[in-house]
Amino acid sequence: MNFELDDDQRAAAAGARDFFTGSASAADARRALEDGPVAPGRSALAGIGFLGITVPEDAGGAGSSVLDLAVVAEQAGAVLAGPSLVTAARAAVLLADHPDLLAALADGSTGYAVLDGSAPAIDALGADAFLALEDGALVLGAGEVTTGRPMDATRGLGSVRLTDRRVLAENAGARWARARDVALVVLAAEDLGAAGRAVQLGVEYAKVRTAFGRQIGSYQAVKHALVDAWVGVEQLRSLVWWAAWAADSAPDELPLAAAAAKAFAAETLERAAGTCIQVHGGIGFTWEHDAHLYWRRAKVDRFVLGDEAEHLDTVAGLVLAGALGR
Amino acid sequence: MDFDDTPDEAAYRARVRSLLEEHAAELVHLDAGEEAADAAEQQQALRRTQRVLADAGLVGVSWAREHGGQAGTLAQQAIVNQELARARVPTLINHIGLGMCGPTVVAHGTPEQHERYLARLLRAEDVWCQLFSEPASGSDLAALRTTAVRHGDEWVVNGQKVWTTLAHVADHGILLARTDGDRPKHAGLTMFIVDMHAPGVTVRPLRQLGGQSDFNEVFFDDVHVPDSDRLGEPGEGWRVALTTLLNERVAVGGGGNDLGLSVESLAALAVERVPQLPPERQVLARQALGRAAVAALANRYTGYRRYTAISRGGLPGPEASAGKLAGTTAAELVADAGVRLLGDDAVYGRGPDGDDGRWQRNQAWLPGIAIAGGTNEVLRNIIGERVLGLPPEPREDKTAPFNGGRR
Repeated sequence: MNFELDDDQRAAAAGARDFFTGSASAADARRALEDGPVAPGRSALAGIGFLGITVPEDAGGAGSSVLDLAVVAEQAGAVLAGPSLVTAARAAVLLADHPDLLAALADGSTGYAVLDGSAPAIDALGADAFLALEDGALVLGAGEVTTGRPMDATRGLGSVRLTDRRVLAENAGARWARARDVALVVLAAEDLGAAGRAVQLGVEYAKVRTAFGRQIGSYQAVKHALVDAWVGVEQLRSLVWWAAWAADSAPDELPLAAAAAKAFAAETLERAAGTCIQVHGGIGFTWEHDAHLYWRRAKVDRFVLGDEAEHLDTVAGLVLAGALGR
Repeated sequence: MDFDDTPDEAAYRARVRSLLEEHAAELVHLDAGEEAADAAEQQQALRRTQRVLADAGLVGVSWAREHGGQAGTLAQQAIVNQELARARVPTLINHIGLGMCGPTVVAHGTPEQHERYLARLLRAEDVWCQLFSEPASGSDLAALRTTAVRHGDEWVVNGQKVWTTLAHVADHGILLARTDGDRPKHAGLTMFIVDMHAPGVTVRPLRQLGGQSDFNEVFFDDVHVPDSDRLGEPGEGWRVALTTLLNERVAVGGGGNDLGLSVESLAALAVERVPQLPPERQVLARQALGRAAVAALANRYTGYRRYTAISRGGLPGPEASAGKLAGTTAAELVADAGVRLLGDDAVYGRGPDGDDGRWQRNQAWLPGIAIAGGTNEVLRNIIGERVLGLPPEPREDKTAPFNGGRR
């Protein structure tokens, strides 16, 4: 058994951390709420090659695995980067038979968004082309986007009505399902990064803030809350790695692993972000502090691509059908 | 990344599996959650089981040959644990000895002590217990009050231990006692090996919440322990005890196994029971099943990370200390989902027909798991301070003389 990142993946994570901490931040996420741009933005992500990680090399991508992408996505989540690598991962699966469209995904010349009916779609704002499943067919088209006041502006959420469409593939249900599962994995990976960073912010503050004559992190009420949040992050990491590995190497396990990771990610990020605010006290409840930006990500991501109840039911259905294996 | 055995591991697993098949008739087998009919008979059968396994080279796999072990790896030990579980062989009777007492004797014992105790421990010729907790010192172990006073070549022990698993069948125990009350609490302790059949040792089984008696209180009234059974130097008892506690965490964290009934057991129950529920109840049952399965899978795959670290020859990383916390949570979700699926039978310890009571027993066992081997609150302190680097609570008890104005 070898359930650990390899040296290349660790190096990729370190490189991604450097890129994302230099090109996006919670402060950018705050500015995006005040009508600023989403950072690092599509062209920067394309420039470093992150939009094409799972795009084949002959279509201009890196031809790497979903696990490789998940490792990068964790770092993107830690700084609340946008647009999301979820979209890149999902579109790469859907466009697998269309090298020209894949090339436009990888080089950033086309901004894609993937639609689940009328549900708010990630990165719909700023997209030029929309992918959807209509009557079992995969279609690509232009559309009109409507949106509300954002809760987390980095997600670029909007509802889309297609105004024209062309069919890319008939009978695309299976591919669509795989693409959605891969999207769940990458979303869970981004949430892993965000949750880990929220816990880290709380831990750093608990070491320096004093009350009643000592650091607040020495109080068990504070310490135990942070530990529970951290344990959740490490458990989530295991599910994300398993699900990403399954996407690459064990497609039969992917539906169970992806649903489990997404359901657990929702709960984990909510707890981490909520704990981060509570550990900070009043300052954590201010606009200026970064805590609410992680909280916003949690409150949005738990509903995006299906909520916890939906994915827990999926897990239950698969378990009842005999999916527990290893 | 993969979940396959290496060729060496696969060969080892195959050998273990064939040994377990070869000796199947000599081993005890129990289904998950199943209870043996006759406890005394079961004790003998469990001792025999361990002896057979030891003679087949399947006990003390990672121990050095000079100590009676197989000089194998921790990964091989984990493979044996997995194969024993697969073959429905219950936990070895000397699990406290193998997991905690033995490694402590190995680390701190003299060659004479190694010679005298370890081979018999491996074959369950002697069963061991761990005499640490006391009525007034559970989590605060170093506050213990059992005393050992030196008289020439002997020590005389007086006091009381409690929550001592297996004391009622044990032949030996490792005993942490206070030998110098004038020193700070951690500095006045010494570890001993004690003969549980010695005059002055009285064992009284305690009946647990669920009705069973797995643990005991143990009284020491002028019990004489030869100095040759001192484990480590006088005053070094806390350092020796930390070896025990570290091994306890490795023993608990190494395999990534489920605590209590497995999620597979829950799945089997759900397949049977969920379709019988009205639709609105099915929705709730599926949510509970899904939540329990996700928690159990998260814990299981985190266990695979520990296993990977072990199989590379390392000790488990920080995630090991979190295994018991997450494992307890998952076990409680699995147990609760299982009990809920019993419907009306859930209000009985065992339903009037059909139901064998295993889910109720499982439910009644779990509160103890959150306490045993370090309470979940103590583990949170350990993770908070050692992993996250949070400051400890101020502790004036660490430096003050233990006896000073406190008794």
